[in-house]
Amino acid sequence: VTGTTAPAGPAELSALQAALSAEHAAVYGYGVVGAHLTGAALAAATGDWIAHQVARDRLEAKLRSAGAQPVAAAVAYRLPHPVHGPAQAKSLAVILEDRVSAAYLGLVALPGAAIRAFGAREVIAAAIRAAAWRGTTVAFPGLPAGALAPRVASRERREPG
Amino acid sequence: VPADQTRRAVLAATAASLPLLALSGCKGVGALATPPRPAPDVAVLKAAIAAEEVMIARYDAVITRSARLAGSLRPLRAEHQSHLVQLRSRLIVPPGSAAASPSPSSSRSGRAPAGPGREPAGAAAAISYLQAAERHATSALLHQLIAVSPSLAQLMASVAASEATHVAALSAAGGTGLP
Repeated sequence: VTGTTAPAGPAELSALQAALSAEHAAVYGYGVVGAHLTGAALAAATGDWIAHQVARDRLEAKLRSAGAQPVAAAVAYRLPHPVHGPAQAKSLAVILEDRVSAAYLGLVALPGAAIRAFGAREVIAAAIRAAAWRGTTVAFPGLPAGALAPRVASRERREPG
Repeated sequence: VPADQTRRAVLAATAASLPLLALSGCKGVGALATPPRPAPDVAVLKAAIAAEEVMIARYDAVITRSARLAGSLRPLRAEHQSHLVQLRSRLIVPPGSAAASPSPSSSRSGRAPAGPGREPAGAAAAISYLQAAERHATSALLHQLIAVSPSLAQLMASVAASEATHVAALSAAGGTGLP
C-alpha cells in the first residue's frame, strides 16, 4: 500500500503470492507451536504469531491494491514433522521461519527498488526469529544449500571451504 | 579448427554461466588496449568483500584479546568467513582488467568509513563494538543490494540477514542475554 507507485508485473504478483502462502503457513504453524509451549517460550511464539498475521495482512493489502486476488490460506497444513512437545514445536518454528525467509528472498530478485527493500527487510525479520528459535545463527538464512554451490569449479575450487 | 571450436564452446559456456563476465566483457575479450569496464555488480561486490574482510579482522582482534569471548565469537567469525567465500566466488572478472586484482588502496579505502574505529578494551565494550559493526554492515548491504543483479541481491540479502542475527547472538555471547 505504501511506497510502491510502479504497477506490479506478473513476476511481482507471483512473488507476493508466494510470500503470502508462506505467511499463511506460518500463521497456521505457530498455532501448533504455541500449543506445545509455556511461559516465556509461549509468549515468544505468540509474538511471532502476531508478527506473521501482520505480515500476512500487509501482503494481502499489497496484492489487492495491485488488483490481484490474494491467495487464501489452506484449511489445514501438513506439518514437516510430528509435534508432540516443546523441542519439536521449536523445530517447527525454525522451519516455518526458514520457509518465510526463502519466500521473501523471491521478492529480493525483482527489479523494483521498493519491493526489493521490502523483501530484504522481511528476510531479516524472519532470520532473527529463526535464530531465536534455533538458538544459533546460520550463514545464509533463506538460501537453499544448492544456491551456494560453486558455478565454475575450475575457478572456485581454489577457494577454501 | 577443432581448437577454435573448443574455444568457442568455452566462451559460450562462460557467457551462459557467468553473467558478470558476459556484461563486463561484451566489448570483446580480444581488445588488449582497453580492458572491459567492470559491471556495476563488480564495484558493489568489491565493497562487500572488503567489508567482510574488515569484519573478520575485527572479530580476530577481539578473539585475540579476550579468551572468555573467543569460544562464542568463533562460530560468528566462521559465518563471516562463509560470507566472504561466497562473495568472492561471485567476483569473476576478465583476466587483465583493472578489476581482476584487488588493489591495496581500494581495500584500505573500504576500511576507513566502515563503522566504528579501534577495537576497545573490555568484554562489554568489545561486544557493543562488534554489534555496531554488524548493524552497519547490515544496513550497507540493504542499501547496496538495490542496484545489483537478482541473484547477487539475494545473496546479499541473506548475508545481511545473517549479520542482523549476529547482534542478538553477540548479546548472548557477552552474557547480557537476548535483547
